Amino acid sequence: MTGRIRKREQDPDITRRSRILLYIALGVFALLIGRLYWLQVVESDRYRMLAENNRLRLRTVRAPRGLILDRKGRAIAETQGSFDLVCSPVDVKDLQAEISLLGEIVEFDVDDPEVVDKIRSAMRSNPYSSITVARDLRFEQVSVIEFNREALPGFSVLVEATRSYPYGTAFAHVLGYVGEASPEEMERSEDGSLAMGDLIGKYGLERLMDNVLRGVNGGRKVEVDAAGRDQRLVEEVPSRAGGAVYTSLDADLQVTAQDALGNRAGAVIALAPRTGEVLAFYSGPAFDPNAFARGIRKADWQALNTDPRKPMQNKGLQGTYAPGSTIKPFLAMTGLEEKMQEKEKQVLCPGSFRLGNRVFRCWREKGHGAVDMYRAIVQSCDVYFYTLGLKLGPDRVAKLEKATGLGTITGIDLPGERKGLVPTTEWKRTVTKERWYDYESVILGIGQGAVHLTPLEMAIGYATLATGGEVMRPRVVSKVIEKEGKVRTFPPEMLRKLPWNPENVDFIRKALAGVVNDYGTGGSAKLPGIVVGGKTGTAQVASVKGKMIKSEDLPYEIRDHAWFVAFAPVDDPQIVVAALVEHGGHGGSAAAPIVKSVMQEFFRTRPVGPERKGGA
Amino acid sequence: MTLPSKWARMDWPLLLNALALCAIGLLNVYSGTRVHGVPGTALVTKQLAWILLGVAAFFAVYLLSDGFIEEAANGFFIAVLLLLVVVLLVGRVRGGAQRWIALGAFNLQPSEFAKIAVTFALAKYFSRTYRYGGVGLREVLPAIGLVLAPFLLVALQPDLGSAGVFLFILAGMAVVACVRWKVLALFGTAGAAAVPVLWFFMKEYQRQRVLTFLNPELDPLGAGYHVIQSKIAVGSGGLIGKGYLQGTQGSLRFLPEQHTDFAFAVFSEEWGFLGSFLLLILFLLLIYRLFFLTIRSQDRFASFACGGIAVFFLTHIVINMAMVCGLFPVVGIPLPFVSYGGSSMLTGMMALGAAANLSRSRFTFQGGGGKGRVIGS
Repeated sequence: MTGRIRKREQDPDITRRSRILLYIALGVFALLIGRLYWLQVVESDRYRMLAENNRLRLRTVRAPRGLILDRKGRAIAETQGSFDLVCSPVDVKDLQAEISLLGEIVEFDVDDPEVVDKIRSAMRSNPYSSITVARDLRFEQVSVIEFNREALPGFSVLVEATRSYPYGTAFAHVLGYVGEASPEEMERSEDGSLAMGDLIGKYGLERLMDNVLRGVNGGRKVEVDAAGRDQRLVEEVPSRAGGAVYTSLDADLQVTAQDALGNRAGAVIALAPRTGEVLAFYSGPAFDPNAFARGIRKADWQALNTDPRKPMQNKGLQGTYAPGSTIKPFLAMTGLEEKMQEKEKQVLCPGSFRLGNRVFRCWREKGHGAVDMYRAIVQSCDVYFYTLGLKLGPDRVAKLEKATGLGTITGIDLPGERKGLVPTTEWKRTVTKERWYDYESVILGIGQGAVHLTPLEMAIGYATLATGGEVMRPRVVSKVIEKEGKVRTFPPEMLRKLPWNPENVDFIRKALAGVVNDYGTGGSAKLPGIVVGGKTGTAQVASVKGKMIKSEDLPYEIRDHAWFVAFAPVDDPQIVVAALVEHGGHGGSAAAPIVKSVMQEFFRTRPVGPERKGGA
Repeated sequence: MTLPSKWARMDWPLLLNALALCAIGLLNVYSGTRVHGVPGTALVTKQLAWILLGVAAFFAVYLLSDGFIEEAANGFFIAVLLLLVVVLLVGRVRGGAQRWIALGAFNLQPSEFAKIAVTFALAKYFSRTYRYGGVGLREVLPAIGLVLAPFLLVALQPDLGSAGVFLFILAGMAVVACVRWKVLALFGTAGAAAVPVLWFFMKEYQRQRVLTFLNPELDPLGAGYHVIQSKIAVGSGGLIGKGYLQGTQGSLRFLPEQHTDFAFAVFSEEWGFLGSFLLLILFLLLIYRLFFLTIRSQDRFASFACGGIAVFFLTHIVINMAMVCGLFPVVGIPLPFVSYGGSSMLTGMMALGAAANLSRSRFTFQGGGGKGRVIGS
């Protein structure tokens, strides 16, 4: 009986064993509570952030970049909508598959490691931001991508504002270009206003005026589900467009300058001499800034950088060239102002000039005979200026030249300006540790030797001659409207006024008019009804010993550079044009017609009549 | 025992505790089945029906006459074994596993009922083999054989999670039934040694789960996804939670199975540490009550069965919560009364009904006389 009764008062073991299990249960519950405390109290901030990152996507709404306008209010840089392919790294499921599918739709280089690497590194470091993969898709491409949405979870097409330059290459070197901000640039923007994929001015006015032109990005905070689909808009901050930059440039003149230079390398600069306003500034060959705004390909970028004609260099303010005969009016002016050479004094030109055992040739082999200063300028007689150079010496010449703006930083409001070199005895001593030799003064007289100048300096120098000593700071930007609406204007700025004798100024102007109109070397710049004054220049690139060889017969790289700098009308200068053609040969034949075209276009819309005379 | 006296001896705290958990579960199912912020009512209605059916099942089992459960234990066990075979033959394949039998609108999951059937069968076996001073190896081997059959059938589905629950029940009941510590240590060692063998028999996805449990960040979008998203849901709940219906992990579908196995993740995201703590207290009270009944039952079968039921709930609660918190690999084990699911609800309620039924015996008088229940008399 007893064995069959399963009462358990006599089994204290069962109670003990049950208690042990209960304690184990209590222990496990304590462990669970500890774990929950760890996750929900200690680590909760981290997980809250992860949950928000799960749920929220920040979609940047890029601000349109501001306009750049020419003097007549025409947009020369504007912002247009473009269909861009954007990648959201966190939503990418299979990068390789998606990329190769895209490669079939968009002609973008699937193997381009730049794009793939960028996405890969963003997947690790910053998966919740978006990356622009390709810009400016065509409509068919957009529809094919939309059709394949399911297979491309990480990619989407957004309408984005893209920089566009309606005049193409014409304004390339003035406007510069925009590109995506580099990581360093993002770091440098101290307010953190630059986001990945933002466009930033990299060169030219785009870079200089970046603060004005760049808008303030807006954003959309969107809630997404686990599949990355947008569920609802949580928050939206509208973007603010960038401000406007008004320039003094004239698009018609700019296009004319570009056409006139054509395929040749060189620079054409047009200025208003009394205000320093830049009317046209072309450097050739140029690049297409539109290509940069759409994300230039590496190969194209390399091609631009290895081209021997340097399309990425702004020859107007970065290229320095021997001035050749264009320097002669400055020597004449020095002679007059220093009262060391009277304009009536005649010098005999037999075709060459001898100094010791050196012989310096005149460009005209048979010589000019007896020439006074006027004839010497008009005919560009080298022998006259050899003797004048020798007589004046480098320091007097340099003093006047520097005063007019040659060999100095002109202070133009474009980035990257370089200054040329106007040699002095002091310069020679410090740089070469040698004394100045007389023969150097001789060749300095015709703008050869150590002297070299930028086309911009030349344009400013001639503007100073034209105005009789007013040195103006060259200006491209005339007015700026900030994004807050504040207007800033940039009035003409006179750097200095040279105390020149008006008689001397008058004489030089007349002589320069003679170059164009009095059977001089600049005859091909002659304009009907308007008196143009200017000077040709042919700058030797390599000295060819022995016989005179025609420039056209030389290989391109050692052909002479051709200059022509002029202003008009001579008695009331309204425009100065400097043209330089690299390896163009003679200034009179290669550069003068360019200046003529630009002036013709300038005066086409500005009749020069009595009513204009005397006006500024 | 008459109906009024049964009524008078009813263990109300046990049922009220379970109903409180059911209410929380119902609210949670409502929140967890929202898609993109739109609540889904269909599953809430179904869950409510399951709760009502569950309460009915509770009373049906509770009202069974004294001794019936013990007498029917073996029959119930054999019936459930047959059901498990049927599942393997005609069961519905869902998510790569054959776990359900379609019954009209409902899918029945026999492995849930098997857990209770095994508990009763083991209680009956151990109550017979009980020896003062401890049960030896020879008596334990048949018990292992008893569990092995349902274990293998469920493991074949394959549902290693539920199969594992049988082993926990066996181990827990072996402790309560005073199997000698030496024997328990022997099987513990043998079990640990068997892990590599188990690894060999595991399916690829199961191995993957274990590996990603050890390091979820290995495959954050694949096998580690569940664990990571679940931890994010729990952790982002913080101290006081995001508020009811304010959770985002579930409604935006970052959580998988958010109303069934991961219901607790939804709950703790919305109610935070305080809510989770209170829920754990409710579960702890339930477990405590079951152990209390284990200790206080006057009858060995009742004691062992209550102990087995306590271990059954304990295993489910702990494994499910540990899984949601990233302390245990992801296995398909529901949280009793809180997760959506009919079989789990019915099983839980039946188990509690049985515990309430068996605990009536603690009021019986000592000795063989009166209305005392004496087996075999």
